[in-house]
Amino acid sequence: MPFRQATYDEPLISEMRSGSTYRIPGDASATVLKDLPGEILRKDLKLPEVSEYDVVRHYTRLSQMNYSVDLGIYPLGSCTMKFNPKLADLVSTFEGFSGIHPLQSEETVQGSLKIMYELQEYLKDISDMDAITLQPLAGAHGEFTGILIVRKYHEDRGDLGKRTEIIIPDSAHGTNPASAAMCGFDVVEIPSGPNGTVNIEALKAALSEKTAAFMITNPNTLGIFEDQITEIAKLVHDAGALLYYDGANFNAILGITSPGLMGFDIVHFNLHKTFATPHGGGGPGSGPVAVKAHLKDFLPVPVVSMKDKRYFLDYSMKKTIGKVSSYFGSFNMLLRAWSYIKYHGWDGLNENTLDAVMNANYLSKKLSAAFRIPYKPLKKHELVLSTEGTGKKALDLAKYLIDQGVHAPTVYFPLIVHEAMMIEPTETVSKADLDNFAEMLLKSLEVEEEELKKMPRNLSVGRLDEVKAARDLKIRWD
Amino acid sequence: MSINKDQTEMLNLLGVKYKLELFSDVPKSVRKSSFRMNRGISEHEVLLEARSNAALNRGPEMLNFLGNGIYDRIIPASVDSIVGRTEFLTSYTPYQAEMSQGVLQSLFEYQSMMCQLTGMDVTNSSMYDGYTALGEAVRMAYRINGKTELLVPECMYDGKLQVIKSYLEGLPVKIKKYAMDAGTGFMNLDDLKSRVNGNTCAIICEMPNGLGIIDQNITKVQEIKGEALLIAYVDPISLGILRAPGEYNADIAVAEGQQLGIHMSYGGPLLGILSFKRDYIRKSPGRLIGETVDVNGKRAFVMTLQTREQHIRREKAMSNICTNQALMAITAAAYLGIVGPDGLRKIGSLTYKNANDLGNKLRGTKSAAKDQLTGKSFSDVLIRFNSDQGNLQEKLLRKEVLGGISLAGICAPVEKTFPHSHFFSVTEKTTAAEIEKLAGILEGI
Repeated sequence: MPFRQATYDEPLISEMRSGSTYRIPGDASATVLKDLPGEILRKDLKLPEVSEYDVVRHYTRLSQMNYSVDLGIYPLGSCTMKFNPKLADLVSTFEGFSGIHPLQSEETVQGSLKIMYELQEYLKDISDMDAITLQPLAGAHGEFTGILIVRKYHEDRGDLGKRTEIIIPDSAHGTNPASAAMCGFDVVEIPSGPNGTVNIEALKAALSEKTAAFMITNPNTLGIFEDQITEIAKLVHDAGALLYYDGANFNAILGITSPGLMGFDIVHFNLHKTFATPHGGGGPGSGPVAVKAHLKDFLPVPVVSMKDKRYFLDYSMKKTIGKVSSYFGSFNMLLRAWSYIKYHGWDGLNENTLDAVMNANYLSKKLSAAFRIPYKPLKKHELVLSTEGTGKKALDLAKYLIDQGVHAPTVYFPLIVHEAMMIEPTETVSKADLDNFAEMLLKSLEVEEEELKKMPRNLSVGRLDEVKAARDLKIRWD
Repeated sequence: MSINKDQTEMLNLLGVKYKLELFSDVPKSVRKSSFRMNRGISEHEVLLEARSNAALNRGPEMLNFLGNGIYDRIIPASVDSIVGRTEFLTSYTPYQAEMSQGVLQSLFEYQSMMCQLTGMDVTNSSMYDGYTALGEAVRMAYRINGKTELLVPECMYDGKLQVIKSYLEGLPVKIKKYAMDAGTGFMNLDDLKSRVNGNTCAIICEMPNGLGIIDQNITKVQEIKGEALLIAYVDPISLGILRAPGEYNADIAVAEGQQLGIHMSYGGPLLGILSFKRDYIRKSPGRLIGETVDVNGKRAFVMTLQTREQHIRREKAMSNICTNQALMAITAAAYLGIVGPDGLRKIGSLTYKNANDLGNKLRGTKSAAKDQLTGKSFSDVLIRFNSDQGNLQEKLLRKEVLGGISLAGICAPVEKTFPHSHFFSVTEKTTAAEIEKLAGILEGI
């Protein structure tokens, strides 16, 4: 029996007509708005009018037309889609956590502050960094925070006027150049070397007294470890610049090495990747930022500190960049990451990394006979193959895969590999599933191109007209 | 390190004996040798520890008059049930659209409902939270007109202003404040008008404003804004009874969406709602979900206009945002779907009524000042006392009451204009008995 996704001709909720059934307490009909001037009152409010049971059925049917990590392998490269533990789901529902208002006094939130304090300590331990903020709300938001710290650091040294550039490798995540530009820096892109790592000569040529920072991820987006990292750190620091670690690929090195040991000054974590908080179809994420001691004073306020066994919101950072989000971070996600780390411990976290890297190398090996896998063969958490030379487009193979009921890898990224498929299996996939995935990908090569173009056929919809979506732009119902 | 039979086979294929051999590319000099944290423990033990930590928190059992942006509103049980579906919870960004129609259609519905609620043309599929969405809105305004002065109300919360400042680092935009009227609590239109000039990029108006007041002057800003953009920061629940920003010609509308079915969770995750006029789509940050058809002509949904975004445009992108708050957007859609237009109107009305009742009651207590703001509150009721109340929040806490946030504590610059003032916030949950009890406690302090 081939795979079939649930398929409904599901209407938009605005097309449903069963009438609202919601009741609120008390007698709202007695309410008078007469003290307010007419010009400020709403005349007309159009929203769907649907019964509660129909709303539940509607979104349940929609949910069935959606793949998820609970259904199987989700090997999007650099996304680290590992199993999200149900333990963390359960903890996040405790009213003692979910029912807490952010403006409550410290005395009443000792439990939440303790969770945050412990998470800060864990992340510092894991990264060998000295101080940390949990406030950033996603990886890119962590980058934004980190680059604001870069700005403030150079400003504090009276150097900001000339330090106008941030260097970024051509294999970097798109968020890196976007974050640098958002904070007012010019982006200098450097090419990767022949083995896929940073081209040291290109880096030397790019570094100057104008350099504010160098942003990299290690391992990089090709899944290759930057083995010259200590030399890179020295070059960057000798130039008076800071070294920024994009933590998207942290799952590849946890317990083996750390950004602190490698010489990084600033690092962001993606709790929704390395620490398995659920990604909710696009978010929420959580992107804590850790720094070395010399940057501690620049962190956003507040952080959580402890004195005499009492936890408190610490606003003492003298050169703080200020605030980057409404409150103290995505607490519910912080709580889940805390649960994950508590459960696994240092030994489990390290084992997860070993398994994730073993799985990626295993897949790489299995696929290397049929696909070109450029650069160095030894991978870390992910591999990037090219479908060039197979006569097939990466996109078509991706559609074949999803038609078999597994999620496709990231396609067409990193930009430096043509017809790229970026595959990150993570540690939470069995050998049987890895074998199955590899087999499907190999089988896809045998399917005629014409046939591939007709895929997917087993999902709730067939291949989409993406050009039409942009051309006849319709981003709301009428 | 554990190795099972499957793993032995895998390692054999890789030609290594131990997993650690796969890290031969990591130099010895940077190898990690120790941790301070403990080894892993069982699920049961984590649960016990989490429970004991939750028990250190207090609040849900108390009378709650906290608000100022985050509210303890009623969340229909069905909302948690819907967003607890792991197909929503454990999926990634819908890069493979054909496999992800559930998330995509839900987000399209969110965008549509938010447009109906705000009266705006377009809503993106979510930002991190209200404050960061406001920061992005200001950046967007700068991209649209290139002007360099931002006008904000003097009663904007310090935290909100700090986030805007962070988002303006690197742009040549300067922040200037306009005054509030000390009698009504409305924005001072004359003062605002005197500050608008050819360099004005945007005017931020809050509704209700930072004093909690339903600011009827907001409808008149369109007459004085000139070429500047009007950015309205609104309370989404208030839109059940108050005019939509689209109706007073707002160019960009921003809101914190937590009240739409999202638990408070000590302030996160939240939901940033960002809506705007259609002309500004190409300058807007974040993801947009569009309708299209599949090969068979069936209606379907897909991420669109991605050429504005970081994964394609890199340093030229409209924003660096990638991960957003998709699940919170679906939460808001489910909430509004269940509550419906009549429900939202009632929730808004009841909130307003409770605010009125609480205001009338507390202003009649002996410690209340004679002169109070004459403008009407929506949910955050600002009470002026006739003397310094010290740490009122602390005193109330001893009576098992949360509330009494001081204006000076969240908006220091207006402390002098509005002295000895504290907030008490209500929702549709608040009862007459609770208001009565609060008044009694305040009389006794």
